[in-house]
Amino acid sequence: MACMDRVSPALKQILLKLYLADKSIEIDHHLYEFGSIEYHIQSQASNPLLAYLSISIPPLCHGILPNNLSPYTIEMVKGICPNVVEIEEPARDGFQLTLKLNLYQIPRNKDYVKVIGDISSVQSVILSSQLKEILWNVNSDDASPGMYKPIKLVYHPREPFFVIRQPQRIIAVFPIRFREKSDIVIATTFFQELMDVGNSDKWTKTPPCTWSAIPPPELRGEAFEDLSTNGGFFSFDISSRHVEGKRLDKTVWNLLNFNTYVRNHVKSTKGFIHRRMRKRMENLVQVLHGTNSEENEQAKQVKQRQGFRYTTKLVRSSKHTMKQRWRTLGRKIKRFHFRLKIHGFTRFRQRWLRFPKFSSTKYTKLE
Amino acid sequence: MATTTLRLYLTCIRNTLHAAMCLQNFPCQEVERHNKPEVELKTSSELLLNPVLICRNEAEKCLIETSINSLRISLKVKQADELENILTKKFLRFLSMRAEAFQVLRRKPVQGYDISFLITNYHCEEMQKQKLIDFIVQFMEDIDKEISELKLSVNTRGRLVATEFLKQFI
Repeated sequence: MACMDRVSPALKQILLKLYLADKSIEIDHHLYEFGSIEYHIQSQASNPLLAYLSISIPPLCHGILPNNLSPYTIEMVKGICPNVVEIEEPARDGFQLTLKLNLYQIPRNKDYVKVIGDISSVQSVILSSQLKEILWNVNSDDASPGMYKPIKLVYHPREPFFVIRQPQRIIAVFPIRFREKSDIVIATTFFQELMDVGNSDKWTKTPPCTWSAIPPPELRGEAFEDLSTNGGFFSFDISSRHVEGKRLDKTVWNLLNFNTYVRNHVKSTKGFIHRRMRKRMENLVQVLHGTNSEENEQAKQVKQRQGFRYTTKLVRSSKHTMKQRWRTLGRKIKRFHFRLKIHGFTRFRQRWLRFPKFSSTKYTKLE
Repeated sequence: MATTTLRLYLTCIRNTLHAAMCLQNFPCQEVERHNKPEVELKTSSELLLNPVLICRNEAEKCLIETSINSLRISLKVKQADELENILTKKFLRFLSMRAEAFQVLRRKPVQGYDISFLITNYHCEEMQKQKLIDFIVQFMEDIDKEISELKLSVNTRGRLVATEFLKQFI
């Protein structure tokens, strides 16, 4: 799956590291993105703010476009940051383009992140310019009958799409393939919504789009493996007003990333469904556990109450009876004393006939 | 109208479950010191009752199979279109894979149905019978509700994402 962001994150990180380094560092990195784009970044320790970035991108369209970059593409690359970026001639072996990056030219303020981000998006500039070249002459009347033949564009090896030039318009057709059936269903739902929204009155400025399960007639005669899909074919009708001025860049980038966009939507929708299912399952489990736990809690509470009641009753009753017994015994002793009146006996009684106090907690250890 | 038929369908299932859920401990007649759900083994026909099939329509039905010590409830959930079909399969598979959390849920549904429950006499001893029936009925209601909501959410998300995509062209 390609990245929807124009900036290459790995390249940006390396360039930032190089630019912000306190001491001089030597870099010689080979990077591969999406399996087909190769970068080579090189900088010497003697002059770390002078880096060489080489890039190799397979052509978007085999046969129509040459392997080398066209002058238009080179002009677009030069336009990224004219002060910082210079094109080295000839490019290094195995690469289509080598850029000399004068990083010391980047201003030391907040803008440096933007400038480095622009340099890191060189891959998107090259790819966009290649597609722009194809879309450029929508209005041109020099289209020969051979030009109606579909052009197969390969942005990602497994996700080719077709561009068909017709008078006053270009049709972009995306064959949709997915591995899982659930992905197809979610994607199909999305296509139907996209068709509904795109063909409504509010969105007249956007390219009209259609989805069909069978290949459109424009693709007649193409290779069987290109036409065998499980998710149908999605088409955009691009007219001249969709490629005017700044809109061209947006249209090109949207077309290049349409497959990625759909796949990203399918993936995030599956995640959303999974979250919902997990939440609902938790609710259902709570309902089931409520069936036995409620009962158990009730029973526990009853048992606890019963238990406490009996214990407290037992404790209360034992205390009560003990007190009563002590009182009766005391009364008996008093009665015994009242009958025999001996002078000074009361003091004797208080001194010697007192009831000893027994404490259950205290004890003396026997040696 | 749909709500009325659903209520009737669920009431019928509730009453049938209420009648069927009189389970007792019964040791296996074939193997000594074994106690197995007879509704699964079906070794002795005298221990099985007649299964009851309750249908709301062709797509929605409930099979209640009863034996002396166990009860098996199999449900077929409505799947009107492909999206509902996928969502139902995903959700019920998700639940079946976590069957241990439910105790009464069968890991594999009976053939021809989407999900199955197996209730034994031990479950009836552990849980309240009425609450267990309530759970089954609520489960059926929740599944229907969840599938409908999920379908709606997927469509809404699709529409929002489509709008955002088209905005990029302008």
